[in-house]
Amino acid sequence: MEPIATEKEGETTIELEGSEIEYVSYGGEHHLPLIMRLVDEELSEPYSIFTYRYFVYLWPQLSFLAFHRGKCVGTVVCKMGEHRRTFRGYIAMLVVLKPYRGQGIATELVTRSIKVMMESGCEEVTLEAEVTNKGALALYGRLGFIRAKRLFRYYLNGVDAFRLKLLFPRPELQTSLQMMATKHENHEERHLLQESL
Amino acid sequence: MAEKVRLPINPSIPSGEQTVWADISLLLDSACKAIVVEYLLPTEEIDSNESVRGYYSSDANLRDGELIHGENFNLFAAMSALEIMDPKMDSGIVRRYYSVDEAIDSGAAPVPLSSDRTVDVQCVIDIMDHLLACEATWHKGHSLAQTVFSCIYLLKPDRTSPHALLHSYCRVIRATCNSVVSVVSDARTNEEEDLFTMTYGLPLKGDGDEKCLSMLNAVEETISRQLRACKAPPSKKRVVEDIEPLQTNPDLEEEFCKALLCRIRFRKHFYHALTAMKRPQGRGLELARKHIACCLSELDSILKSSEFLCSNACGTCEDGLEDRTTASGCQPIGFDASLNCRLSAPTPPRAIKILSWIKAVEYFQKLLHDLDILCSYSLDPLLEGVLRFVVEFQKFQPDLVARAHLQVLLVHDGKLYGRDPVFTVISKAAALPEFPKDHEIQNNEVLVQLGQLVISLLKILCTNAAWQRRKLGKILQDWRVSYMQLELAFKKEFRDISSTLIDEAGSLAELIPSTAIGHLSASSLCDKISKHILVWVEEQTYWIASRFLVLGFELELYSPNEYCMVYWYMYVVFIKLAEKTHLKMLTSHETGKRKAKKKKDSLKDLARDYQIPPGVLLLQCHIYLAEALTMFSFLQMLAALRNEHKVFPSLGPFNTEYERFNQHFELLQKASIPDPVTFFSYEESTMNAHLSNPVMHNCFKDALRIAKELRSSFSHDPERVAELRRIEQVAEHNGVALNLICRLGTLEPSLKVYFEFSHHPYFATVVVKRS
Repeated sequence: MEPIATEKEGETTIELEGSEIEYVSYGGEHHLPLIMRLVDEELSEPYSIFTYRYFVYLWPQLSFLAFHRGKCVGTVVCKMGEHRRTFRGYIAMLVVLKPYRGQGIATELVTRSIKVMMESGCEEVTLEAEVTNKGALALYGRLGFIRAKRLFRYYLNGVDAFRLKLLFPRPELQTSLQMMATKHENHEERHLLQESL
Repeated sequence: MAEKVRLPINPSIPSGEQTVWADISLLLDSACKAIVVEYLLPTEEIDSNESVRGYYSSDANLRDGELIHGENFNLFAAMSALEIMDPKMDSGIVRRYYSVDEAIDSGAAPVPLSSDRTVDVQCVIDIMDHLLACEATWHKGHSLAQTVFSCIYLLKPDRTSPHALLHSYCRVIRATCNSVVSVVSDARTNEEEDLFTMTYGLPLKGDGDEKCLSMLNAVEETISRQLRACKAPPSKKRVVEDIEPLQTNPDLEEEFCKALLCRIRFRKHFYHALTAMKRPQGRGLELARKHIACCLSELDSILKSSEFLCSNACGTCEDGLEDRTTASGCQPIGFDASLNCRLSAPTPPRAIKILSWIKAVEYFQKLLHDLDILCSYSLDPLLEGVLRFVVEFQKFQPDLVARAHLQVLLVHDGKLYGRDPVFTVISKAAALPEFPKDHEIQNNEVLVQLGQLVISLLKILCTNAAWQRRKLGKILQDWRVSYMQLELAFKKEFRDISSTLIDEAGSLAELIPSTAIGHLSASSLCDKISKHILVWVEEQTYWIASRFLVLGFELELYSPNEYCMVYWYMYVVFIKLAEKTHLKMLTSHETGKRKAKKKKDSLKDLARDYQIPPGVLLLQCHIYLAEALTMFSFLQMLAALRNEHKVFPSLGPFNTEYERFNQHFELLQKASIPDPVTFFSYEESTMNAHLSNPVMHNCFKDALRIAKELRSSFSHDPERVAELRRIEQVAEHNGVALNLICRLGTLEPSLKVYFEFSHHPYFATVVVKRS
């Protein structure tokens, strides 16, 4: 199972005022059909109801929905867990209805999830995005994600994916490294660089 | 709270670690939309039995979204559930036919295709064309079962035997697929071939397929005669009249014959080419080239035949060229991709899009051109040459089949080209002094491991760019470890070897007094070997690191605000690479001088005659460009942010440039490449970046100057001349752009400055525009 995240360029846009969108944390089974409908509409990957349940039952605190006048217009679904000795968050699905794109809804949704991941002790966050999905790539780029890998023909439709990664700072590590580096710099590195010029 | 239904575990089929078998027949009876669970994974995760409301069925009547409970079963495992009757998931769903036989009985693949022989020929040509489209789609990454073997005629090899034309064509298709599958399996170009080589349950090897060429030749001969007969002037007609025409309409005879002939000949030459390329040690490459040339010319004829076929079929061939899978534009008879989904090879249930016929022809043209480049390769015995060839070859972005052939050619039986033992390759590459061929030094465990690293490097370089980069990043650590092991081994174990060498050196000096070995004591020989190998291993390591960094551009892994750190890292790695390359050349140069027995003047000579080798100077150009672009992209990043009224780049909502730096170069840092380099040395190096800094201007100027001077040194090497040209263009353009920006003041808001890769694949060209 490899979910994808997407936020494609919109066509017609509904202009919103900042306060019009209401963000809600996943609240129970009544939210499930809303999430499923949104994702089914926008993504091609075949997910059964069990895929959604896996995420929202185990990590309800990482899923959010965006409502506009009572209508669900966007959602984010995530998980977190141990991965190769790293505690890692994973963004499984991110969808905003086309007319509502380009107004920061996806950014707000995903930022909320990432904050919870960070507070829960995640060291990093990952996800996959189609290489052609410029909107999503720009969004995650602004949040500090880097394109760590390219995955050859990752999706069933034959398109490559980028594995995007966001590494959280580890303050204690950075300070000690900085101290070590300052020592080094005075000696070898300056030498190395100057020599090469 | 729902009540659980415990299912009896079927005792006749034991549950394994990956599976649970449960008898659900009772449930299925009453549930029209049940969930069958397959491929269950073992579980250590939360047992959610109690926490999940309504998760289990309260009685035997399963409703939509409900789940049967098995022993080792959790929410994660449940994701693998397939929803029956969902066309996206259920591969067993009946679309048209239950079986191949049923399809045949229903007339889905008649033999002959029509009692009207003209129609029959038309239909066979459509099948040929659609098969070509299927084959290209398969090469491009889909399963054989959903592409080529969606052809019902191929699934029942014996059925076609009364139809010589169709039969021989089906045979050569199967044989070709078989040949391609075997090359790709041998090459193991990683992950990609998984789907590609999956052939379970498909009749890939029909009895007598090995005779496909003789059958095809016979058919070709018949049609050639039919073509001659219809073209013969009326006076000669009588002589050839005993030949039955291909079909019944004399007006169409010639064009139909031609259309069939080029299709048949293409298959024949393609099969020949593939077979010749497989010959050991590249012995069949020359022959393969001839067949490749024939293939390309037949493809041209195939393309030309489209006009006739199209107008014959529907009177016009204007629209829909992009989508149709045949030259005529007609739907082919005898294909059903859904049959295999139900019956044989593991196939994704969803229908796939077959490439159009025109795209398929283009694919084969590209494949043949790639194979031709491969076949014209001279099997360079020097590793440096091999690496350069592979890198150049990869620039054409060859697909899986061409890359698999490249790999099988390069590495066979653990030898280069199946010919040169790896140690010989390393000896040449590291310019080792001569020593006895069978000496135990090459059996040293660490050197054997180094040999394996060289082999895996070659294999990795043949994979697709995405996979290649990941693997190169990982193999870097192995090379680093190998370096340290070699260092240790040379210190300890070679002391023993040197004592044996001392004994041999005496006799050797008598045997080959003219070689350097005569002048060297055995222990200094060991010193030399270790020095040469260590320098070479380091050079290789930095070469891999530079390739790793450069591939990031091709794969679009860097965003413009990361160019600065990427160029800086490239700059540092290029310096190390140039340093090691130079050192390697110097050490072999020294040996050369000694060989020339000019001991007295050698040092003076070195100082006077010595010029930096062109290869190192070329690297110097790269260093200059990387250095200048580091500064430039840094300034650009600052300016862009200033214009957008944003804060310093290192501040994001969740992390800083420090984390991005460490993530991008994690694999390099793990391998201490280069050592010691950290984010802070990067940060420091950009402190001095400002527009009027002469270093940036001089870097572009120097790169340009050296590139121009180097032209004459590489006059025999078109690839490098092209690289020099690219360097010149980047340096020239960027120099001008920089001057322009300086003249117009700092990077002012009305000035639009951005990067393009219009001249060089990884050195950006600065574009300045007024907005």
